Amino acid sequence: MSYPTIRIPFGPQHPFHIEPEYFMFEVDGERVVGVKPRIGYVHRGIEKATEDRTFIQNLYLIERICGICSHAHTTCYTQAIEEILGVEIPPRAKFIRTIIAELERIHNHYLWLGLAAHEIGFETLFMYSWRDREIVMDLLELVSGNRVHYAMNTIGGVRRDVTPEIVEKIRKGLDALEERMRYYKKIAMTEPTISKRATGIGILKPKDAIALCAVGPTLRASGIKRDVRADDPYIAYDEIPFNVITYDGCDVISRLFVRCDEVFESVNIIRYAMEHLPEGKIRIKVPRRVPEGEAVSRVEAPRGELIHYAKTSGTTKPERYKVRSPTLGNIPSLCKMLVGGYIADIPIVIAGIDPCFSCTDRMAFVNINNNKQWILSGEELRRYAIKWYRKE
Amino acid sequence: MGLLKWGRTKSPWIIHFNTGGCNACDIEVVAALMPRYDIERFGIIIRGSPRHADVLVVTGPVTRQVKDRLVRIYEQMPEPKSVIAVGSCAISGAPFADCYNVYGGIDTVIPVDVYVPGCPPKPEAIINGIVKLIEKLKAG
Amino acid sequence: MTEETTEENEIVRKMKHLIGKNVLESEVTRPRRIFILVNKKVFGKAIRYLTKRMDFSHVSTITGVDVGEEIEVIYHLNRAGTTELSLKVRVAKDKLVLPTITDIIPGATLYEREVHDILGVIFEGHPDLSPVILPEGWPSDVYPLRKEWTIKKIQKKVTKGGKR
Repeated sequence: MSYPTIRIPFGPQHPFHIEPEYFMFEVDGERVVGVKPRIGYVHRGIEKATEDRTFIQNLYLIERICGICSHAHTTCYTQAIEEILGVEIPPRAKFIRTIIAELERIHNHYLWLGLAAHEIGFETLFMYSWRDREIVMDLLELVSGNRVHYAMNTIGGVRRDVTPEIVEKIRKGLDALEERMRYYKKIAMTEPTISKRATGIGILKPKDAIALCAVGPTLRASGIKRDVRADDPYIAYDEIPFNVITYDGCDVISRLFVRCDEVFESVNIIRYAMEHLPEGKIRIKVPRRVPEGEAVSRVEAPRGELIHYAKTSGTTKPERYKVRSPTLGNIPSLCKMLVGGYIADIPIVIAGIDPCFSCTDRMAFVNINNNKQWILSGEELRRYAIKWYRKE
Repeated sequence: MGLLKWGRTKSPWIIHFNTGGCNACDIEVVAALMPRYDIERFGIIIRGSPRHADVLVVTGPVTRQVKDRLVRIYEQMPEPKSVIAVGSCAISGAPFADCYNVYGGIDTVIPVDVYVPGCPPKPEAIINGIVKLIEKLKAG
Repeated sequence: MTEETTEENEIVRKMKHLIGKNVLESEVTRPRRIFILVNKKVFGKAIRYLTKRMDFSHVSTITGVDVGEEIEVIYHLNRAGTTELSLKVRVAKDKLVLPTITDIIPGATLYEREVHDILGVIFEGHPDLSPVILPEGWPSDVYPLRKEWTIKKIQKKVTKGGKR
């Protein structure tokens, strides 16, 4: 049964809901019985644009696919092109790429923690975690010159080196970040507000997670031990010991714990990498013209498996470049998680997959019993959910 | 200075909208609200509805899907209203300016008062942009 | 081939055993990366074999490439998070139809919709091929990732002919 969607010129973006998106929900009373996602508000046409740009120009375009996982995208891109070129980047460059990748992961998880706290009305945790996030942003600015869009990667290595002074500052920053995350994890484990809103909510059973091709912390919170860094190692991950974090709860709070523990793992990875940082060059020269070939490059972005496919034809521009971001991989699972839950659970379940479009801009509802239709903005739904749980 | 004007320049209320950007500018806009930069001490509050806002802070290049929504949000804001375009994408659409699903910068769709360049601009730059807007409002 | 790539070579060998000369091209570019091009008529058999019998149960994504007279559709399949096998099949533009794989792997649903949006491939049996990334009002004959549609041409057509 398909319902006409009503386009009511309606409320705005919630300021903390960063990318616009659209879901249509079929509801029966307070229960969600069907979901239809409609993405595309941020579709810019990047894949086509890559065909008109040289390989170096594409570096800056691809970095801007996402402001939060920009390093993951450029790592994936440079790896694909380096593979086709048949070059191996210097060991020091691999380690530096790894350090930045893990700093980005820590950044992402802190950011997520704040936004998830905001979804359930826990403003204090939001403010605290975003204040602590500034520590990692300062470290990234120290290393790369920018807080966001670090532009550290180039084809053939990295563009900036890491000095001993920087290493020392990173060490201090990591100690602080680790200690703060221990505190937040303790809160998450003991605070009843969080527990009520996140435990047993948004269930994704393991066999559904696999059938729906889920990725990242969403998959790992359903007990599936998959992580591109361990299974399909790239950059320096085959040389650095670390654990793949899984939890068996299959719910939102498990996804939260997976991310908390991943921060601890990231801290350890960076410490190890800095201690074992190889000497030598940070980049090698590569030709502008890339021979004919193709490559599939995979990276564990903070949100999950990121995959790029590159096809070249012997010119200075790519023939075809394909990007699949992790969030797209989790949307089918997201729809599965939402069905059967309450309307009030929608904001936190959506936040739970750490979507690269943060919550939705407008959500349309249809009651299957009486065909009543209405639309809520993300902000209204968030407030509705907080109020609903307070009554319980 | 009249009372209304004093109220607006002392405490501009903002609404933020992303028209298809990569999120980097949005993170920096939200970071400006966070304890470290804390623009609330300037009397700036983010509102949830365009009907309550004086200033529209826009990020991102305008994608075709989002263009109508941007215009509608602008029209819902009561006069007098101002627009701040944050980031290179909002200013000119770059680096997506030639992509097939992108119109261009914000000013191809609605009038813009202040442009804050950067990719993304740092929170300090965004605050500077807001301050420039307040000065502009005070002046006329 | 070095010892490291034996597992990958074994997979290629099994495919050749299954469908013989319908393996049109195959390459192991490096450890954990296999590319196989199969004849369209054995596509269903090949994909079922790989997903159900060889444990390539994760679809990372599906790519479509305009290669001239045909569209090459590449299924990026993954086994246990490690080996990525890209199964390619070419479909003529004048009969741009492939069977859906959402009956075997439901998670492929949005990937097929995306390839349909940008290249016009029809996945027979897919429950809902409505547009997923292109905006409403997009003219139905403009497939952006086809080579004949340059960005300039698209912009001219969409600004004039489309609802926007």
